[in-house]
Amino acid sequence: MKTYAFFPGCAYQSAAGYAESVAALNNRLAIRLKELDDWTCCGATAAFSLDEGDGLALCGRLFALAQKEGHSDIVTVCNACYTTLRKAGKRMTTDPPALAEVSRRLADQGLGLALPLPKVLHYLDLLVAEPFDRRLTGENQVEHGVGAVAVYYGCQYSRPWTTGPEAQHPTMLQRLLSGLGVDVVEHSAGTLCCGASHAVPYADACGPMIGRIVGEIRGKGGRIITTICPMCQFNLDAGQRGLGKDPLPATYFTQMIGLALGIGAADLGLNKLLIPLSTMQKKAP
Amino acid sequence: MNDPHPDDPFLAHPDCRHILRCIQCGACSGSCPLGAEMDYAPRALFALIRDGDFAGALKSNTPWYCVSCYQCMDRCPQEIPVADIMYRLKQMAVAAGCRPRIHKLPDFYRAFVEDVGRNGRMTESHVMARYSLKHPGDAAANSVTALKLLARGRLNLFPNRSRDPGHVAALTARCRKRGPDA
Repeated sequence: MKTYAFFPGCAYQSAAGYAESVAALNNRLAIRLKELDDWTCCGATAAFSLDEGDGLALCGRLFALAQKEGHSDIVTVCNACYTTLRKAGKRMTTDPPALAEVSRRLADQGLGLALPLPKVLHYLDLLVAEPFDRRLTGENQVEHGVGAVAVYYGCQYSRPWTTGPEAQHPTMLQRLLSGLGVDVVEHSAGTLCCGASHAVPYADACGPMIGRIVGEIRGKGGRIITTICPMCQFNLDAGQRGLGKDPLPATYFTQMIGLALGIGAADLGLNKLLIPLSTMQKKAP
Repeated sequence: MNDPHPDDPFLAHPDCRHILRCIQCGACSGSCPLGAEMDYAPRALFALIRDGDFAGALKSNTPWYCVSCYQCMDRCPQEIPVADIMYRLKQMAVAAGCRPRIHKLPDFYRAFVEDVGRNGRMTESHVMARYSLKHPGDAAANSVTALKLLARGRLNLFPNRSRDPGHVAALTARCRKRGPDA
């Protein structure tokens, strides 16, 4: 069985049960991830906004670390890491001077880059592809009864650097959860933007973005939002103040899959949500 | 591809030369979740640049309001990398020392890269602390959330750190050196 390079990203450690639930699924589904040794920040939107060369070099370092360990893929769990790495990878692949410049800067650290660069995947991409998808159907189905779930991919996962047949209108997570017996609602806010880090300096402008997402999901009957990105989860978990009573819990997709597989809430880190899932359970018929 | 504008630091960039293909349809502006906050939504900004007011574009708040959702790029019928052009404008504004009218985001990004440059990895509480020195009001608005996160073990007070942060200090030297307040 293949072992994948795992790039957790900086927000993973303090994310609400993401690490716990990914570990639980790795264990249940026999997914082998090896944390990239000595990984560092991808730079996200910040580095690219200030200096392109630095932004490319930060990503280049991660590709080089993966190549040093012989990996052909890097698995991420964050939309920003995923998009930043994919974008930088495409640039370095198609712009030889950019690749040469990054290589020169990495040579000082004893690292090297060679084309083709490792492929960047989201953990979700792993779960919906063979062989793991086959372990997520059939007899695994368990009653969980937590209420209708709305899938929220966030903006960056489905945008220009993604690939595959569902690039711009992803539905794979809805199908995966439905297959596990989860009650999934359809809605049109699945790839809207949550405001990301703009929610800190421009809170007033970003508040309506959260309101639009939550309002659409609530209107279509969703009672739980499930996300695939620490930034989205945080903004939806912490940003529903001022939107009225009964905020909708914002979970990670790995937590919902774990619940559907019968893994306990504590083992999925669900106690770390700001908006507790338990309040919704009480209201479920 | 041959570069038709080798001496123009904006048009010579592989993303930015595509602006010449813009047909001013406005799909980008209509797609932008923060377009209403911008001095010029993307379509108008591109018109401004093509009219020759590049300085006005650099000083505008537009690129700093771009939240990198990339919806404009998905929808542009001319396949112009709109959000990446915004990145280029941010880089050039910072390099030129332009202070946009609204300049909180550059401060946030500076706080972010300072933390990464020091520790190799980013720690939310440290970025917020650094940013709060300049914008204490935003920190106060988030203080209740911070306490709740702390209670749930979601606020790292100690920094995330890579084995040898010096490697990343070197790779972030340019973005830490150049900035609106540098």
